Amino acid sequence: MAISRKTFENQVIDLLGRMHGVACRLTRNDADAEDLVAETVARAWRALDALEHEAAFRGWIFKILHNTFLDECRRRGARPQFESLGCEESEEGEVQFSIFEQMHQPFLLWFSNPEQEFLDKILREDLDRALATLPEHHRIVVILSDLEEFSYSEIATTLAVPVGTVRSRLARARGALQKILWQQARDIGLSAAPPARHECEDGKADTPRPATARQAARAKKDGNL
Amino acid sequence: MTKHEIDCERALSQLFEFIDRELPDDRRAEMQHHLHTCKSCFSRFEFERRLKERLRGLGKGEPSSDISDRITKLLSRL
Repeated sequence: MAISRKTFENQVIDLLGRMHGVACRLTRNDADAEDLVAETVARAWRALDALEHEAAFRGWIFKILHNTFLDECRRRGARPQFESLGCEESEEGEVQFSIFEQMHQPFLLWFSNPEQEFLDKILREDLDRALATLPEHHRIVVILSDLEEFSYSEIATTLAVPVGTVRSRLARARGALQKILWQQARDIGLSAAPPARHECEDGKADTPRPATARQAARAKKDGNL
Repeated sequence: MTKHEIDCERALSQLFEFIDRELPDDRRAEMQHHLHTCKSCFSRFEFERRLKERLRGLGKGEPSSDISDRITKLLSRL
């Protein structure tokens, strides 16, 4: 056994908040997330002989957590989304959706710093909602890379895929996440992109709403107005 | 171009690997040099870096007392 019982317990307690956070984002359900963490800890204890050294504990237990999640999906008959995709890897040179690129269209140049304004206005809930919308095979790479700060190599080990697959899957996942965020922002009037141009009664093109109007639209949606 | 100079296309193609600290030292130096000299790519870098920073903030959180109690009990039974 690479580590003692006491070390195992300490590692589990230290990582519990992060394991629970990842489990919540995978299952999108608090009760299922608790079950997933409990099952992960139980499996990890039974498989402790397979852990080679203490430094590998974090990647090892997150791998067990992810595999346990996939097993549960299969048990319930819910096919993990990535299995249904014939080719989910990014092709070389493929351009991913970018909020930054959207905000640097010529008709938006009169906004002083639109991308920074965008980041200032999106809320934690907006990010959480966008992340939850991603399919599982995209969500997990964003979670491991951006939330948990795993290296590409650690993600590859955790998901049992080559590093190149991590790189391409992450590129696609980030593009998809930004597209969802962008759509959410437009739905609630947050993004700097103007509404579709239309002619006013006097024949002049309408102008984009000012920031205050966007904020008012969001406040109305949030029930504050 | 000197050995440290790359164009915007190459810089953007490896931007996320730069932010993720996955580039080897020589390519990291190329990126640093380019970002010091190209305002457009630097703006894109700042946007992506800040978005990643916001996402990292989602990962922080204390476990609820419910899950802590449950796992503590589980560990005592193992």
